Amino acid sequence: MATSTYLSNPTITINSVDLTDQCNSAVLTRVIEALESTSFGKTARVYVGGLENSTLTVSLMNSFAATETYSTLSALVGTATTVTLKPTSAATSATNPISTLTGCYLETLPIVNGQLGALDVIDLVFTGGVYSVATS
Amino acid sequence: MAYVIASPKLGTVGNVFEPVDGINVEALIAGGFIKSTIKPTKSDKPSKDTNEE
Repeated sequence: MATSTYLSNPTITINSVDLTDQCNSAVLTRVIEALESTSFGKTARVYVGGLENSTLTVSLMNSFAATETYSTLSALVGTATTVTLKPTSAATSATNPISTLTGCYLETLPIVNGQLGALDVIDLVFTGGVYSVATS
Repeated sequence: MAYVIASPKLGTVGNVFEPVDGINVEALIAGGFIKSTIKPTKSDKPSKDTNEE
């Protein structure tokens, strides 16, 4: 059976700012909340789809330099924004679609994550928003 | 309101930035990524009332 593989090298924007060069992990998960609709007489639980509540989890290397990580995020905490994620840096296409969460919420922003001899890496979770995908 | 790009992280510096739906423009301004092209104008002096009775 043929397989198709690619080297994980996504590009990411947060509030339109390209933070690909500060990011080393990104997981976009589409979530449709499950609403149980099991009724009397059923022998197994059944569900229907509820509201969408997708998430994007990213790990960013922190930087307090001008127009870098901190200056991108400091005014976003507690607000809604738009994030995009693409599997590779190649042009957007059917085999390299760009996913967008419009109006997702950033609840928490770690300011410093310091450890002796380690880079300052912060983990962020963007929650909610409207998911869309484009191929061009 | 029109904006120009001030950081290569956002695009070509000097180009016009047109925010799409969901973009937090205030955060971009606060972070120094864009600048407004509209300069604040001086308010007009109050006109003197020349109607004398």
